[in-house]
Amino acid sequence: MRLPDSVTGSFLVVLGAAAAYGGWILPPVPGQPVGPNVFPLVIGIGLALCGLAIVFGIGHSFEEEEELVPLEDGQVAAPPPQSKLYGLRALLPPALLLFYVAAADRLGFIITAAIMVYITATALGAKWKLALPLAALSPFAIHLIFGKLLRVPLPAGLLPTPW
Amino acid sequence: MLKTLIDAFALISTWEVIIAMFAASVYGLVIGSLPGLSATMATALLVPVTFYLSPIAAIATIVAASSMAIFSGDIPGALLRIPGTPASAAYADEAYAMTRKGQAELALGAGVWFSAVGGIAGVLSLMILAPPLAEIALSFSTFEYFWLALLGLMCATLVARSSPVKAIAGMFLGLLVSCIGIENPGGVPRFTFGITDLFGGIEPIPALVGVFAVAQVMRAMLTPEPPPLPRRKFGSIMAGQWKLTKKYHWQMTRGNIIGIIIGVLPGAGADMAAWVSYAMSKRFSKEPEKFGTGHVEGLVEAGASNNASIASGWVPSLLFGIPGDTIAAIAIGVLYMKGLNPGPTLFTEKASSMYAIYLMFIIANILMIPLGIAMIRVAAYILLAPRSTVMPIIMLCCAVGSFAIGNNMFGVVTVAAFGVIGYVMEANGYPVAAMVLGIVMGTMVEQAFVTSLIKSDGSILPFFERPVAAILAAMAIGALLWPVMVWVWRKVKPVQAAAATTR
Repeated sequence: MRLPDSVTGSFLVVLGAAAAYGGWILPPVPGQPVGPNVFPLVIGIGLALCGLAIVFGIGHSFEEEEELVPLEDGQVAAPPPQSKLYGLRALLPPALLLFYVAAADRLGFIITAAIMVYITATALGAKWKLALPLAALSPFAIHLIFGKLLRVPLPAGLLPTPW
Repeated sequence: MLKTLIDAFALISTWEVIIAMFAASVYGLVIGSLPGLSATMATALLVPVTFYLSPIAAIATIVAASSMAIFSGDIPGALLRIPGTPASAAYADEAYAMTRKGQAELALGAGVWFSAVGGIAGVLSLMILAPPLAEIALSFSTFEYFWLALLGLMCATLVARSSPVKAIAGMFLGLLVSCIGIENPGGVPRFTFGITDLFGGIEPIPALVGVFAVAQVMRAMLTPEPPPLPRRKFGSIMAGQWKLTKKYHWQMTRGNIIGIIIGVLPGAGADMAAWVSYAMSKRFSKEPEKFGTGHVEGLVEAGASNNASIASGWVPSLLFGIPGDTIAAIAIGVLYMKGLNPGPTLFTEKASSMYAIYLMFIIANILMIPLGIAMIRVAAYILLAPRSTVMPIIMLCCAVGSFAIGNNMFGVVTVAAFGVIGYVMEANGYPVAAMVLGIVMGTMVEQAFVTSLIKSDGSILPFFERPVAAILAAMAIGALLWPVMVWVWRKVKPVQAAAATTR
């Protein structure tokens, strides 16, 4: 997800301009010179200016390149596969969280959580022998801590817990 | 004074506080020792649990978990050369070199001992600095608060290890996030786009969990698994530490002081303290050629420094609600939730609670020595846990924890969204700490700014008229112009150098 500075900078310019405009059109408080519109206006303009500076590469010389820790002799790391789909794996955790939002009420906490754990564990390279027991047990443990001890109303759904 | 102290003792000597503290210590040690799980993340994931505890027990868990996690990040740093938390990154190479020389005990022992000493030095600074500063702060008006908050935000951008322009942009992004909702001077829905869930604004805690925990799981998806820890037998861990203390007492004190100063600066936390102290240690050492080959001196100074910054980071948090670092930013959220709203009056009205916080810091740092030694001995077993079992549990905790904050699903959406934002920002060199500071301080900055503008009838002059405000303003503007001056200096210098060579 390393984008060129011109892309992120332009995005900030657009966002800043939108925020400034959004602030500008807010209704003022009657009889007062300043209201809820001032702060977004200031921030939007500041953000847009920063975006412009980034597009033109100002301040780039301050950036330190990330130091890559060299590996020990004898250990050779497998080069990560560089296909386009590989980069998309990073989106898996937020996607699973959205899945939780969509499914938890219908399926219940235990089932949704088990699916989340299984997918995350497999994506990180666990074999099914490890991922399956983990997915079966960890939702109960979390439910015990949050649902039982801390009384968070977790949805029961299809599979109510025995307690 | 004595009565407050006794009250404070009574507050912390309940079973709830004792158990919470012990459990949080173990939790902090384990999370801190796992590579990729930082102390900030450990603290952020604790917040949902603190809802269900009494105020003092809630703060106890944060104090204990953050102190322990900063130390235990040293363990994989020394044994694997992979720092457990960013705060240990500065000296992971050095500690690993010591392990290879067969001095793992000395390196880890120095980690425990000087962390505990540093932590206690940090508490002392909190005890000494906070009350007189509170006296001064009582006379602050909104003008001073505005400049102080601005100075805090500027500090965060100055110390970031990236382009200051990107740091300032990150800060503005955070401030923009804080604009969302109806909690603004006019009480009108702002940037809510008709979504009812956005009316209440973006809660800082789910945003923090997203930026620090979910983004980390996302990064783990793309990075190779760290190698397992080789099992080894340890000799005596504390042997030789007293000798080191006597030999390097000056380095230790310097580390403590640097840590305290960096901790007090808003936005700069334990990792920055460790980097600066390690560099200082090398710069002023009598034997700088030994650095990098497994020399304990830098470890002493940086270890003392990063833990000192943890406690002193609470000074601006308790006094002004301006977080000294990202962990303190989370702590501020908890303080508000528990009715201990930060501000100078906290020290007069809730004095016993303040003393209880000091005491808990001291106890946590003393507890660190036995628990830390035990942790070093079992670390090999804990680090056997593969990432593919830890990360799914973290995911579950993110989902359930963010739900528990408001008992609504919108918290989970917030966490997911901020996970993506944090990941993209980090990947492109935008420091997330600056954004976090913006989110936490946004409402306060706006209030101070707008109230001041209303008082001054739209004029800018009163912002500089009061003496303290003028000083703070000068510092804030100086901090803003500093990167520009450095940039100009760098432009001019090569020209001079070129001129000198041609002459």
